[in-house]
Amino acid sequence: MSKSLLVISRQAPWSGPSAREALDIVLAGGAFDLPIGLLFMDDGVFQLAPGQDAKAVQQKDLSANLQALGLFGIDDVFACSHSLTERGLTPPASAQPMDSAAISQLIDRYDQVITL
Amino acid sequence: MSTLHVVSHSPFTDGRLASCLRVCGAKDAILLCGDGAYALHNPALHSQGVKVFVLAEDSQARNLPVPDWASSVDYSGFVQLSIDYDKVNTWL
Amino acid sequence: MKFAIALFSAAHAPSSRRALLFAQAALAGGHEIVRLFFYQDGVYSAANSIVAPQDEQDIARQWREFVSQHQLDGVVCIAAALRRGVLNAEEATRYQRSAVNLEAPWALSGLGQLHDAAQAADRLICFGGP
Repeated sequence: MSKSLLVISRQAPWSGPSAREALDIVLAGGAFDLPIGLLFMDDGVFQLAPGQDAKAVQQKDLSANLQALGLFGIDDVFACSHSLTERGLTPPASAQPMDSAAISQLIDRYDQVITL
Repeated sequence: MSTLHVVSHSPFTDGRLASCLRVCGAKDAILLCGDGAYALHNPALHSQGVKVFVLAEDSQARNLPVPDWASSVDYSGFVQLSIDYDKVNTWL
Repeated sequence: MKFAIALFSAAHAPSSRRALLFAQAALAGGHEIVRLFFYQDGVYSAANSIVAPQDEQDIARQWREFVSQHQLDGVVCIAAALRRGVLNAEEATRYQRSAVNLEAPWALSGLGQLHDAAQAADRLICFGGP
């Protein structure tokens, strides 16, 4: 049986390639049909904010990659509710909100974790 | 399952340790290394009741006395911790 | 125990040295390293263009020697490397760049190699940041 991997993405979307490179790990795992989960936490939840304009900073639109998650078989997408509340964001439709206790159990459930 | 959380950022300038503590499970432990070792000066860490390890070279380099609530490990101890815990979550 | 080690920081970051010392301790303890995978700024830890002052540690060189000596599988993420200008001879030719700063024992490959290593290993250990 394949080992499961949880990727915790903590980077804001326009702070360099980090957020994109975290997503790339997730998408690559999905392409190999591996059981992958994705949790947005801390500034990573800004990736889920509505109405972003990547063109304003001449960047590629990250939301296209986010929308591709489903196509790559990544259905386990979560968002830290503490981080959302702290930043005045409402829970997005694309990610399941989780409180700290649930995140603790989530980390427990996966075989491996990469937090970046 | 248990997780060894590895933190190398100073808790006085960075939120990683705080986030880690929020999601740290009862069976988990934290290994402080690099500037993360400065968390030995952070009483909040002790009050959480989580098991704390520190990489010996980093507490030594920073002249940080290791309190009785933390344990010091060398690299072979680090390797052993990564085996004793079911997974390692480094807060990159 | 089988380890997969992923590095996310450049050779001048303390975490690059920490990863190297962990890897050395793992082998010394009789464990196996199934692969080293260098991602994000970790690609700089494999660059051979780094010139360390004589009285300072040359971690990139130590990584090269360590991988060669133990005949480890050292993989540098190709997408992360191209973005950061870390090129082997083949990629420098392909993109018509004058500098080559990656050579054996390092191989350029894709992110699939990270997942493959994580699957093959008992533990995935990541190093990065300060």
